[in-house]
Amino acid sequence: MEVVKINGACKTFRVDRNEVKALNGIDLSINAGEFLAIVGPSGSGKSTLLNLIGCIERPTSGTILFEGSDVTRLSEDELAEIRSAKLGFIFQTFNLLPVLTVRENVEYPLHLRKTAKDERDKKTLAILKEVGLEAHASHKPSELSGGQRQRVAIARALVGAPSIVLADEPTANLDLKTGEDILKLMKELNRKHRTTFVFSTHDPKIMKLADRIVELRDGEIAGKQCT
Amino acid sequence: MYLRLAFRNIFRNRLRSLITLAAIAFGCISLTIAGGFIEDTFDQMRESYIRSFLGHMQISKVGYFEKGAARPFDYMIDEPEKALGAIRSNPSVASATPRIEFSGLLSTGDTTISLIAQGVNPKWENEISTFVEIDAGENLSEGDAYSIVLGKGLAEALAAKPGDPLILVANTRSGAINALDVEAKGVFHTSSKAFDDRSIRIPIDTAQKLLQTKDIQTIAVLLDDTGKTDLVKGELETAFAHNGLDLEIKPWYEMADFYTKTVDLYRRQFFVLKLIIGIVVVLSVFNTMNMSILERVGEIGTLMALGTKRMGVISLFLLEGLILGVIGGIIGLVGGYLLASLISWVGIPMPPPPGATIYWTAKIKIVPSVLAFNFGLAVIASVVSSCYPALKASRLEIADALRHNI
Repeated sequence: MEVVKINGACKTFRVDRNEVKALNGIDLSINAGEFLAIVGPSGSGKSTLLNLIGCIERPTSGTILFEGSDVTRLSEDELAEIRSAKLGFIFQTFNLLPVLTVRENVEYPLHLRKTAKDERDKKTLAILKEVGLEAHASHKPSELSGGQRQRVAIARALVGAPSIVLADEPTANLDLKTGEDILKLMKELNRKHRTTFVFSTHDPKIMKLADRIVELRDGEIAGKQCT
Repeated sequence: MYLRLAFRNIFRNRLRSLITLAAIAFGCISLTIAGGFIEDTFDQMRESYIRSFLGHMQISKVGYFEKGAARPFDYMIDEPEKALGAIRSNPSVASATPRIEFSGLLSTGDTTISLIAQGVNPKWENEISTFVEIDAGENLSEGDAYSIVLGKGLAEALAAKPGDPLILVANTRSGAINALDVEAKGVFHTSSKAFDDRSIRIPIDTAQKLLQTKDIQTIAVLLDDTGKTDLVKGELETAFAHNGLDLEIKPWYEMADFYTKTVDLYRRQFFVLKLIIGIVVVLSVFNTMNMSILERVGEIGTLMALGTKRMGVISLFLLEGLILGVIGGIIGLVGGYLLASLISWVGIPMPPPPGATIYWTAKIKIVPSVLAFNFGLAVIASVVSSCYPALKASRLEIADALRHNI
């Protein structure tokens, strides 16, 4: 079953008076439960593609079907609702809210969904246990190591059982060993929960864990062009 | 969750938040002190007018206040006892005293000066005119006849002192000239220099003999509370109509022209002060929120990426402004109250106001409505100044904002 289907997506940015094509005619299907790596050098359009899949940006042309529905024409608030209900995000720089504790960071998406407190507590503690951080629940992000912070971010991304988790270079700010541990954790969660993972990386060593690799070069897959 | 986030965000940069809170609190304290000082000045000025000579209201025959200056004897109260009875039966009336006012001449033999004389009942008048202070000699007392007390300026102009014999000349009711030998019993001053420069007070019985009348002109009324003036005025008008008394009432604020104009002027000046302080608070909170947004662009991007709607981001920053306003306002209220109490305890020595002669001690009046206004201003100014930064934060492009985390 396809979670996301991208048809001929192009994304153009205006820099000063010039137009820069970040993505050029992307066609891509992402299946449920896939552990998909998007690879390519810096500037190849990996982050932009993730932003399109993540309903953070809209394509300049083309369509994106999320679970069969076209999301390219949805309003800002409707996109926010999809992000909150169906998507999880893991960032290169962890992006935890520094004023909240580990537990509060993890339960934030559940607050957005207005989940009842009992259920919120249950889900938060369960996912924290899964990423091995239940003992750090009351710590602030600043009290954790980089690897622990990324585990918190993974827990936050997964706590709401999203359809798809997007990870933008999740290991780029971690040492090799910690990066591998994080990827293994992601892979394990993918296997266990059948959650779809799409992650970008340009590190060949961590691509081997992926079910499928999509390579981007200059904003294109397999040389397709925008019309 | 937003409340928790907002509260903790405020104290992330403690120094900056403390400076902002100090600005809000300072504004609130300034308004409390300035407002309390002005209210106290108004109170003291008002009471000095009321308790020097005006009373809370004056009652006269219908038409006296409009035309009585030219023909005072045409508007005399001819049933003073009945009128006084109706007035005194009102439970809010603390005292009521009959008066008769006339112009005349006062002479020492060498010097003669024109004056305004108030014929008063010494016993009841002393209950009303508690702000009249005796500088030399004694005030009029019950049973006095052919004695007068002179305003300070008038006594100085005549070079008269207590015990001096004087001649008081006035027109009788029928228009003839009459004179009385009187003795200066004392010298007084009130809050009004103009009044002291040309006034004497004389027992009303003696005044009636001089003017050859048994009637009175006005009845000055003192209430147990200045705030009841309009209420009692209405009640007395009903009572007069019920008793068939053809009387009219003039409340103190219609007679204290200088007071009402001063209050009006001060209130306008105070409004400007409020505006300035409001702007200071707005700019201070605006600066804090703007800085906060600049520092938190990446975080705002994260919040929105996780599914926070733009309205949620606006709510978060407005809440931060609200919390700053509430905390700053509370500090300002408590600080203002304590400082006002301290200043009132010490007192501020003040020179006589224009047209007055008395030095006085100003205090800071704690007025609950002023405190509530100041608190409201602090909160509203904080929230208003957060609006633009909040809107700015909510309009960030998520992808651009997320790049700030790198």
